[in-house]
Amino acid sequence: MKNRAYLKMAVNILLHSKLRSWLTIIGIVIGIAAVVSIISLGDSMEQDVQSQMNEMDLTSITVTPGYTKATSTMPGARGGARGEGGGSITSSIADDTELTDDDEDALKNIEGILYISGQVSGNEAINYTGESATLSINGVDSQVWQYMTTSDLETGRLLEPADKYVAVIGNSVATTIFDREIGVNQVVSINGKSIRVVGILESEGDRSDSEIVMPIDAAVEVIEDAESDEFDSIVAKTENSDMVDPVMEEMEEKLMLSRGIYNEDDRDFSLTSSASNAESASEMMESMTFFLSGIAAISLLVGAVGIANTMFTSVIERTKEIGTMKAIGAKNRDILMIFIINSALVGFVGGTLGVILGSIATSIFPMLGVTIMRRSGTSGVVLSPTLMLYGLIIAVAIGMISGAIPAYKASKMRPADALRYE
Amino acid sequence: MPTIETNPVIKIHDAWKIYQMGEVEFAALKAINLKINEGEFIVILGPSGSGKSTLMNLIGCLDVPSKGIVCLNGENISTMDESELSNIRGKTIGFIFQSFNLLPTLNVLENVLLPLEFQETDPSKARERAKKLLDIVGLADKLHNLPSQLSGGQRQRVAIARSLAVNPQIVLADEPTGNLDTKTGSYILEFLDKLHREEGKTIIIVTHDREPVKYATQVVHIKDGILEKIEHIEKQQ
Repeated sequence: MKNRAYLKMAVNILLHSKLRSWLTIIGIVIGIAAVVSIISLGDSMEQDVQSQMNEMDLTSITVTPGYTKATSTMPGARGGARGEGGGSITSSIADDTELTDDDEDALKNIEGILYISGQVSGNEAINYTGESATLSINGVDSQVWQYMTTSDLETGRLLEPADKYVAVIGNSVATTIFDREIGVNQVVSINGKSIRVVGILESEGDRSDSEIVMPIDAAVEVIEDAESDEFDSIVAKTENSDMVDPVMEEMEEKLMLSRGIYNEDDRDFSLTSSASNAESASEMMESMTFFLSGIAAISLLVGAVGIANTMFTSVIERTKEIGTMKAIGAKNRDILMIFIINSALVGFVGGTLGVILGSIATSIFPMLGVTIMRRSGTSGVVLSPTLMLYGLIIAVAIGMISGAIPAYKASKMRPADALRYE
Repeated sequence: MPTIETNPVIKIHDAWKIYQMGEVEFAALKAINLKINEGEFIVILGPSGSGKSTLMNLIGCLDVPSKGIVCLNGENISTMDESELSNIRGKTIGFIFQSFNLLPTLNVLENVLLPLEFQETDPSKARERAKKLLDIVGLADKLHNLPSQLSGGQRQRVAIARSLAVNPQIVLADEPTGNLDTKTGSYILEFLDKLHREEGKTIIIVTHDREPVKYATQVVHIKDGILEKIEHIEKQQ
């Protein structure tokens, strides 16, 4: 029998399948849809993290007061260039310890560090045209900040060494927080001090959008609990990302010495690199995708068992037909091929519907609030054609594999026995 | 009437078919010896449970004997494997069943085409042949009907057309009139008789009904797995 004839017979069987077979197909549809949409969601999340890593500064190291042995890091935190410290959670002893001028000095001469800047931060009320909002203020070293920041300007300029009562503000501060937009050269009031806005940053889609960056001297004046020569963090920028690890080690040694700590248990500061934050973020994405894919794979497996089950029943139901076909000249191979192609078709139909359902699910994910997992709407969740193709191939393979045993059993039936079957 | 040739198409020598029923062995056929010559019209007659269906399975290469030899055109089928058997069946034997055994999901034309497809006949030739046969059995206007849309007699005519598709040497019919009324049954038997007379086909009918006997050149009586007697009938034409 020729391939075309096999296909014709297999299609015929499929078209005359009972409702039960179509219910079986649903198992595959759901499995494939789940796999396809989860993988594409995971892919796009990872791409997101990737693209953020690319624009991220991977050369900065942040020192923060306080220490816990398991310094955990939050995913997706931006580099510490703006003094965010990569979001490291430190123990509550942070209050007792401060980073000072001395610490900064101790770190200054480490080879591999390009820039270093002590920073202060705090939340203060900002007044603008009669409105008030409490926003986060970062005080940075205006000598070097412009070289260390990774933020891009929308308008105006970055901080310059001679600046004092000026600020560069995040995009949301300028556009959405106050009823009236803040433009370059407008003046806001912080704790009674007039601060002139010199630059507005591009929107980043994170909390830096609602921050204000000022020269540290002015920041110390406006932030109530800030004192001069005391820092909330020290940010160092290395020459390149390969230098991060050796520089971090040396920083640790120098700080232990300068702070007079000889025992690991007494340590009262933490070091975080932006690169390690980025890595752990992407690792977390990966393991989440992996985990979800595992669940989806289980649903595929259940679908496969369903197909096998239906194929067995279908073969039993067709015993007499198989006997007839054998009597009129069908070889074992003919029967095997007809049933294998039939189950491959079941897989194909299920796979096609699954890919379609998966695409639909993928396209409505963002509307279901999955965007929470994503940082900004830079790239939509896109189903790649390769993934669709893989989904189909997997479905067909599952169909064939789960149909193989029933088909083999059908092909081995003795015609005399099969014909007697009622 | 064609001359009865002496070379046997089917030769069965001391064939036994033994089924294992739990711990008991049951012999469905016991020491069968039978020769069927080309161009004969054989009726294998026996009550139900006589072993006639088992004998039909051996003749039709649907099964092999437990002991003994079954030869088809001089070839011993007893030692053949399933694919060799299916090859022989497909080429030399056309089957007609009591319950027609048409594939319910294929239309009339596709049912008749099926044996030709198993033989990998050229598709256009196969269609031509199938249509011609369906025309002969008077179903040229039902090509695209499903079997369920046909009467019993029509279905059996489709089955006859299917059995003739590969132009087999032997037509083997298992109770072909069993599910039909007398009139339709006669039509089927007349048709087989015509095939026998005009085309010299070897016709073998397995039945419990005496009706086909009047067309037979040889009647084989079987009871309890034993060949009771073989009647040679000289027919006057």
